[in-house]
Amino acid sequence: MTKLEAKNIVKYFKHDSHRLKALGGVNLQVEDGEFVCLVGPSGCGKSTFLRIVAGLETPDEGEILFDGKPVTTTGPERIIVFQEGALFPWLKVQDNVEFGLKMAGIPKEERAQISKRYLDMMQLTKFADSYTYQLSTGMKQRVAIARALVMDPDVLLMDEPFAALDAQTRDLLLVEMQLIWEKTKKTILFVTHNVTEATVLGTKVAVFSNRPSTIKKIINVDYKRPRLVEDQNLFPLQQEILSELRPEVKKS
Amino acid sequence: MKKNTLVKQIIFYVALVAIWQIVSMTNIWPNNLFPSPYEVAEDLVYTASDGTLFFGIGTSLLRLIIGLTIAIGGGMLLGIFMARVEIVNQTIGSLVLGLQSIPSVAWVPLAILWFGLTDGGIIFVTAIGSMFSVTIATYNGVKNINPHYIEAARNMGAKGTQLATYVLIPAAFPYLISGFKQGWAFAWRGVIGAELLFSFLGLGFLLNVGRQLNDISQVFAIMLVIMMVGIAIDGIIFKRIENKVMSRWGLR
Repeated sequence: MTKLEAKNIVKYFKHDSHRLKALGGVNLQVEDGEFVCLVGPSGCGKSTFLRIVAGLETPDEGEILFDGKPVTTTGPERIIVFQEGALFPWLKVQDNVEFGLKMAGIPKEERAQISKRYLDMMQLTKFADSYTYQLSTGMKQRVAIARALVMDPDVLLMDEPFAALDAQTRDLLLVEMQLIWEKTKKTILFVTHNVTEATVLGTKVAVFSNRPSTIKKIINVDYKRPRLVEDQNLFPLQQEILSELRPEVKKS
Repeated sequence: MKKNTLVKQIIFYVALVAIWQIVSMTNIWPNNLFPSPYEVAEDLVYTASDGTLFFGIGTSLLRLIIGLTIAIGGGMLLGIFMARVEIVNQTIGSLVLGLQSIPSVAWVPLAILWFGLTDGGIIFVTAIGSMFSVTIATYNGVKNINPHYIEAARNMGAKGTQLATYVLIPAAFPYLISGFKQGWAFAWRGVIGAELLFSFLGLGFLLNVGRQLNDISQVFAIMLVIMMVGIAIDGIIFKRIENKVMSRWGLR
């Protein structure tokens, strides 16, 4: 079943006085339960595309269909995880995780039950009463992921969530992310500029061209999980993606 | 406060009072224009012992609290609207900047005509004289919120009043607290100024009575009290809130 469909998405950036065509007609179809990684040269608009799917920006042309219905606004069925997490510094970890539930009017005890499950899953139980400034970058991203999962969204949108992490923490989270996906069977759209990350996580990797961007190629990744960063069997695939990407990076 | 600083301050004030005493003993200025610290202290004890002083402080503080509460409530509401709704900012925003430049005592004639010589008039002067600085601080605070906080909150389903209560106000709080501080300073000036001109109870009234009776010690005494109440509120209430907020936000 098709969960998400992007139909000819066009988006202009305002750049000083002139308009810059960032997205030049992006088409993408995402089936329920797929894990799609979006890679592309920096500045190609892949993050903008994700924000459009989230409903945080509107396209200048085209539309996003979610369960067949056009997306007009943002909402908790498509939760986005930002690069720097965007956790609320005035709330404790647990309150951060429960934020969306509170907005939905779920009573306190029930919220605590739900958040406990995800705090456990992300190994955050010990930090439930910490404030976010007391956490490392890796911990913050775990909180951000827990905060997203708690909403039980149909689609999880992740905007380079591991870009700011050190290599060890990132490798650990790459494995955890696969386990979460297998456990929850969420549809995930994951923006990254890291090709290895894309092949480790995705069932599909969509390669964006340079501006005005379109999706140039979609590569399927059929390989057993959990996949590790150092797995040599993924190398040919990574080479293939890189060879698609290289001419685009040069153009930019 | 560090113990060292406290010692220095005590020495400074003791020296200041001693110099004051010596100057008054030299009779450079006549005693009915420049009282000795002893006479001022005597006056303080006298007005305190018959309850006049405490009634005055209480009256002024009550007016301050009511006026400042109105100013903070109204100012925050207006500031949030200005920051979130562009048309409000373009229209009312320019008026707010103008109104903020009116000193609170300049509202007194208007307040007397509208409210008569009543508590309501003095509270009006207090509130309107401090409201717009709160408005401007709130506006700046909300404008400077990391946009990802607002996007994440909307994405998780927060909107309208929920967004204001649970995200905009707490996220802007470091700015708001400096706005409250400034608002309180304006409000305190407003109360005393209005009481002087209304001549209707409170510390400002007592100050004016001192002037009418040519009682220079009372004028000195009441001015000292006004200053000390100011120091107390600043140091006890605002410093504490500020420290708490700053450490919670990880800013110190």
